[in-house]
Amino acid sequence: MTPELVLQQALNGISFGALLFVLAAGLSLIFGMMDVVNLAHGAFYMLGAYLALSVVRITGSFWLALLVVPLLLAAIGLVVEPLLLRRLRGRHLDQVLVTIGLSLVIVDFIRLRDDWGWGGEVRSLAVPPGLDHSIAIAGSDYPLYRLFVIGFGIVLALTLTVIHRRTRLGALIRAGVGDAEMLSALGVDTDRLFARTFAAGAALAGMAGVIAAPVFGLQPGMDVDALIFSLIVVVVGGLGSLGGAAAGSAVVGPANTFGTVLVPQFALALIFAIMALVLLFRPTGLLGRVRIGR
Amino acid sequence: MSRGLLGWVAAVAAWIVIATFPQWSREWESSRYATGIIRDILVFAIFAGSLDLLVGRAGLPSLGHAAFFGGGAYAAAIVGQRLGTNELLIGLGAAALVAGLLALFIGLLAVRATGIFFLMLTLALAQMVYALAFQATDLTGGSNGFAGVRRPAFFGVDLGPAEALYLLVAVVFALMTLLLWRVTRSPYGRALAGLRENERRMRALGYDTRTLKLSVFVLAGAIAGIAGALSAYAFRFVSPNDVALGTSVTGLVMVLIGGAGTLLGPLLGAAAVLFIERVLSSSVGFSQTVLGIVFILFVVFARQGLAGLLRNVAAKVRS
Repeated sequence: MTPELVLQQALNGISFGALLFVLAAGLSLIFGMMDVVNLAHGAFYMLGAYLALSVVRITGSFWLALLVVPLLLAAIGLVVEPLLLRRLRGRHLDQVLVTIGLSLVIVDFIRLRDDWGWGGEVRSLAVPPGLDHSIAIAGSDYPLYRLFVIGFGIVLALTLTVIHRRTRLGALIRAGVGDAEMLSALGVDTDRLFARTFAAGAALAGMAGVIAAPVFGLQPGMDVDALIFSLIVVVVGGLGSLGGAAAGSAVVGPANTFGTVLVPQFALALIFAIMALVLLFRPTGLLGRVRIGR
Repeated sequence: MSRGLLGWVAAVAAWIVIATFPQWSREWESSRYATGIIRDILVFAIFAGSLDLLVGRAGLPSLGHAAFFGGGAYAAAIVGQRLGTNELLIGLGAAALVAGLLALFIGLLAVRATGIFFLMLTLALAQMVYALAFQATDLTGGSNGFAGVRRPAFFGVDLGPAEALYLLVAVVFALMTLLLWRVTRSPYGRALAGLRENERRMRALGYDTRTLKLSVFVLAGAIAGIAGALSAYAFRFVSPNDVALGTSVTGLVMVLIGGAGTLLGPLLGAAAVLFIERVLSSSVGFSQTVLGIVFILFVVFARQGLAGLLRNVAAKVRS
């Protein structure tokens, strides 16, 4: 590989990692607080992408979609959590199972909405104007939108860190992740906190869907890909912490990109090999606090 | 007659009724269609039964069981093609062997975890098998699937015709159900139940729980592989979807709707799910939505599944 190509692929890898961070942060947040692996996370991501498609079609604005779609997903999360998960509090496995049913419903809904221009065919979302050209980096052209994704991921990571460390909400989340029962005993309304956490996680999944749509397009099966990748990221990085999601994304994003270029047949095997090594030698993930294996 | 004997007689009678369905339904207009659906229900009941060995008996919620179903399907199809043989036992043997080996590899990593983490790991690792099946185009046919699976034959007796194949599926279903029944009644099955109830205590009692989990994972994988081989023979086709997450989800949905940890549950669950996916879907377009909602309702309100509901009704009637 020429140095230009290496740089280009490195940027691709980092931008994929940034996207994975947005995706995995939501999954990790929900797990950290509620001990639930939300298997509808991929479906939320997919729904986010398709909602963005409709918002852009109606208003013509990608930026409006980036603002509105996470709010819509948050609203769905605020309804779903009390309706389905709250009554199963303490039955973590059943909560996970319910999210499987939820994802079946969401994916089928998307498949059936031909009248909204969704349906089972491959769709694409245009790169927003202003970001739809390439700029020269070290002598070769590079699509500006992918740089935007990198920037977006970094800004989001910083924002989430500040919220986590400096705000009252962040303090509640940290306390809830540490010991939700004790937090409840101290008089905090954990039901509300859980609903909001779930909504925030759904919003992040939707946000990832919007950001990813111009790069990867929209098609059936994208929910599964997103779910698998976010699970791998949290296993590698560590479940239930922002740092874990960041570390996992930073490893998996570039590894997948370079794997695809260098050993296309074994790209996925490479990712799984990394996951296996982490599980064997660091069962908590790189920066995690929860032991996944023993 | 004692209750145990009565149960045996009822089970054998029910099996005979099911196994002879193509014969006594021959006059019906939709006999062939119904035969095909019942055949698939039995195939998936084997698959769901093997998954229930993990989920219901040993308390290991796997979401990667399709890897072994599809792995077995590909193994039977490919071995038949490469060796140019129709022999059923070679096909089923290859399926059980390959699926068991896949389960060994995935299990080595996955049994380190329990509960939700076990589910996460089996899901992610099984997806690797899917990716392999998808990429190894010259072996599996890639995204086009593997067409032209050879007709199975049992020591020269052709099992290709629909009625012979149906009988084969019914016989294998009976054998696998017997096997699962024997396993769950054995001391080994008791140890699995102990694993489900309290793994730490089992370790304290001196059980090597990791080996126990790995062994049941391999056994369940091999049985799922046999179900996959039957599916390959039935459709004369193996699709990458057989290895995909969707099939794992279907299996888990069958186990939970039918009733985890019961012998009848997988059959009831397979029947309910295939009814929704095949029969209902021809009249309503949103069968997956129905399936998702039914699944949620069972998890939330009827965790004991159809088998548990039936048992409750039976207990009410008796008292």
